[in-house]
Amino acid sequence: MKKTNPVGKGLLLLVIGGVVGYGIGLGLDLLISGTLNFSGSVASAFALLLAVTAFFFGLYGYRGITRGLTWQVVGTLLGALFITGIRALMGSATVFGPFLFSEPAWVFGALAGVVSFVFGVGIVDDWFNWARGIDTPEHHEDEPGWEKYFGVSLDHKVIGIQYTVTALVLIAIGGTFALIFRTELAASQLQFLTTTFRLFNQTGPQFYNTIMSLHGIMMIVSILLGVSGIMNYVVPMIIGAQDMAFPRLNAFAYWVAVPASVLFLMSLVLGGFDTGWTGYPPLSARAPVGMQMFFLAVFTAGWSSILGSLNVIATVVRMRAKGMIAMRLPIFVWASIATSIIALTATQLIGLSFQLVMFQRLLGMPFFNAAKGGNPVLFQHLFWFYSHPAVYVFVLPGLGVISELLPVFVRKPLYGYRWIAMSSLGIALVGFTVWAHHMFTSGMNEYLRVPFMYSTLLVAVPTGVKFFSWVATLWQGKIETPTPMLFVLGAIIVFLIGGLTGPPNAAISLDLHLHDTYFIVGHFHDTIFGGFVFPFFAAIYYWYPKATGRRMSEFWGKVHFWMMTPSFFILTFGMMRIGLLGMRRRIVDYDPALGLDTAHLIMTIAGFLIGLSVLIFFINFFRSLKHGEEATGNVWNSRSPEWQVPSPMYVHNYEVPFEVVGEPYDYGLHGSKYVEFISPNEVPQHPHPPSPAKVESIK
Amino acid sequence: MIHTQEKSSLLSQGVFIFVYLAVLTGLEFFVAITFSSVPLLVVVALIKAALVVYYYMHVYKLNLESEIDEHAYDYKAGTNRLGLWLFLVSDSFVFGGLMVVRINLLGLTRPELNQLLGLAVTAVLLISSFFMNRGETLMHNGDRKGFLLNTAITFVLGLGFLLGVVLVEWRVAIHEGLTPDSGPAGAAFFMMTGMHAFHVFTGLILLAIVMANGRRGLYDEKNYPVEAAAVYWHFVDVVWIFFYPALYLIGRLA
Repeated sequence: MKKTNPVGKGLLLLVIGGVVGYGIGLGLDLLISGTLNFSGSVASAFALLLAVTAFFFGLYGYRGITRGLTWQVVGTLLGALFITGIRALMGSATVFGPFLFSEPAWVFGALAGVVSFVFGVGIVDDWFNWARGIDTPEHHEDEPGWEKYFGVSLDHKVIGIQYTVTALVLIAIGGTFALIFRTELAASQLQFLTTTFRLFNQTGPQFYNTIMSLHGIMMIVSILLGVSGIMNYVVPMIIGAQDMAFPRLNAFAYWVAVPASVLFLMSLVLGGFDTGWTGYPPLSARAPVGMQMFFLAVFTAGWSSILGSLNVIATVVRMRAKGMIAMRLPIFVWASIATSIIALTATQLIGLSFQLVMFQRLLGMPFFNAAKGGNPVLFQHLFWFYSHPAVYVFVLPGLGVISELLPVFVRKPLYGYRWIAMSSLGIALVGFTVWAHHMFTSGMNEYLRVPFMYSTLLVAVPTGVKFFSWVATLWQGKIETPTPMLFVLGAIIVFLIGGLTGPPNAAISLDLHLHDTYFIVGHFHDTIFGGFVFPFFAAIYYWYPKATGRRMSEFWGKVHFWMMTPSFFILTFGMMRIGLLGMRRRIVDYDPALGLDTAHLIMTIAGFLIGLSVLIFFINFFRSLKHGEEATGNVWNSRSPEWQVPSPMYVHNYEVPFEVVGEPYDYGLHGSKYVEFISPNEVPQHPHPPSPAKVESIK
Repeated sequence: MIHTQEKSSLLSQGVFIFVYLAVLTGLEFFVAITFSSVPLLVVVALIKAALVVYYYMHVYKLNLESEIDEHAYDYKAGTNRLGLWLFLVSDSFVFGGLMVVRINLLGLTRPELNQLLGLAVTAVLLISSFFMNRGETLMHNGDRKGFLLNTAITFVLGLGFLLGVVLVEWRVAIHEGLTPDSGPAGAAFFMMTGMHAFHVFTGLILLAIVMANGRRGLYDEKNYPVEAAAVYWHFVDVVWIFFYPALYLIGRLA
């Protein structure tokens, strides 16, 4: 029997599913509205849902993710039909809406779809068994091979890789959006996103607004997933735990992010939305149905973030190896704790703020409707109470990765361990008190401005502590520069630029002029690239051998770095420059008289070079799975426990438990030791350390 | 440590806490109808919440010290307890956010609601917490029958609260012109009671699960699920301890 390539089969079915879905949608639309709308939303929505489902069917068969997606499609349709039916029975005038179903029907359908996905993929089966009084085993081993990544697995390493790959997929989609609108911006006037352009029931400028907004939010969600990915993969391993504290909850937190990603794409095809990722009312109170899909998607992705961070905290508190006291925790764990504290608590507020707008749209509850006594500024307070600390959720793990990897490649102890550990918590805590600096121009109470300016400037202190530590660690070190270290160094420099451009925005008098200009866009791209994207790539290059037993190509890694970094500087310095010259953010077109055409063209070229470098990374990533150089040992000569055992990691991490006997980052100090493995027959039953002769020690 | 105490002393402690809560609720109502002092109402609500959190939700059981045997039931229960508390901390931010919405939109005014009805549902919820505590204590001491009976009473009272809010109170409010789209007062009222009712509903599901599994005889000394359901139930109660004065008592009639 001929063996078919599952990817090819998946792609074939992707096309077939898309065409069939498009046909069904077109037919339904014709039936309801009476016109053939080839660029319409309904046909596109069906095409999207069926194409994605069919792709995974071809790739993986009807189980795991395919089953979840199938259930999501069916659940969405049944939910929407349910509400449509009720409205028809009640004699409502608007049984159908401009997108086939009415807005309440789509909202209920989307929610039903998410719940159906969770049931379909099978992640709640165990909990239902518990509720029925049936006990289920804590761990089941996965089959070796690639297939475990497309189904429910309870292994934190599998889930970490699932998160990471999902994050990379979302980065690719969000980056593509950026390239599309960057191309439109390359010259003034409208080139291809014109007013006669029609796609998904949107004109060119509307489409620009949608993909600009979606670029923002998809990148944010991909960062959240990427952060979860690194934390999931690394944290249990470096603290010597077998798994996360709650493996099922961990898997749930991942799988609920998948239907959320589908909902983001649904928001694109269902009329889009034009508010930017912030979704401020009153604009968001009257945007098309896509707005509701966006709200629901963020809401669902928020569950993932909350439950994942809960799990990280519980894991670190309860499951550390023997001897791993607070001041001997790896620095990345401190960063994870800090980030998890924010994600655990503040995320609720963005969910709440979006929920209130959803209800304002559905039931007319006038929370933010000033005409009826509501307060639009209240939304901004609730929203930024999460969305500012959220940037520390993005960067803290990245900064943790920098501190974690730096001593390995400098062969020197990390300078100021305690300070750097505490600075993560410091940033997290100060981060809770700065949100209103996004609102200096919003018309909030004036007396709030100055305190928020000072609290914002205060963030520079713990961040500065980190910089001092990094520079002092680099000082007189034996610096090696393999690819992960290049990205670490790049991250430090890029984040420095991002950090230095922050205080001008915090100063009220300047911010009143800089607000909503491209200067802000340049600033936050610097912080996010320095705080997340560069460290994320560093972490992938660094821990790739641990996950696969092979390393990624050094040559292509270096090409990736040297192509991305200069292009990125050109892009963001360009953004800041044109921002100072008067370029506003979020707009599809600009006045040629501003004289910014050349700058925009250069930035667009730089943007495409970044895209190309990431494409190289993707090819390197997947190619190295099969063809990478074998690396099963301690590739980076690290002291960290996960590198003392062969790669790829065992299923339950360490066959032999270890004990922490020294400081984690004492590189280059003679005779220093971080972990000792306790041989299985000699697990000490007494508090005294076992005699050296009976211990396999690994330096 | 409390868990070494006698069963009877634990049960009588539950009674005392309940009496305190009842007296404080009465005081709260009296303050509200006579001289409406906001600081005093806040203090009373905080005391009530502290009593429930300490004595009914056993916050002191959060023991974070690492023990040797990571596979023992008690250790796992401790981890689960930490997870549950982290979830409650997270959840309380939703309710905190709703309080912010209420304070921002309504300030020192309140919607006109049926006071007697409000006091009645509050009383029902507080009494249900008392029976929940009793049921949990009995299970802890191996009295499965007593646990089932008291949890069943809790369930009935909780259901009474849920129906009292959603079917009676909402209908009365709408009848008197306080609809979700009438203004910020209606919006805040329905969103706050609605979110709380949703949590009561999930609490009822948890109670039903532990009752069903208790009838199957699943719990002996290993009864963490009972504790978890009870702690969640009391948390819902704590939320209402703050929502009740926020919606019914604080401020002048708009």
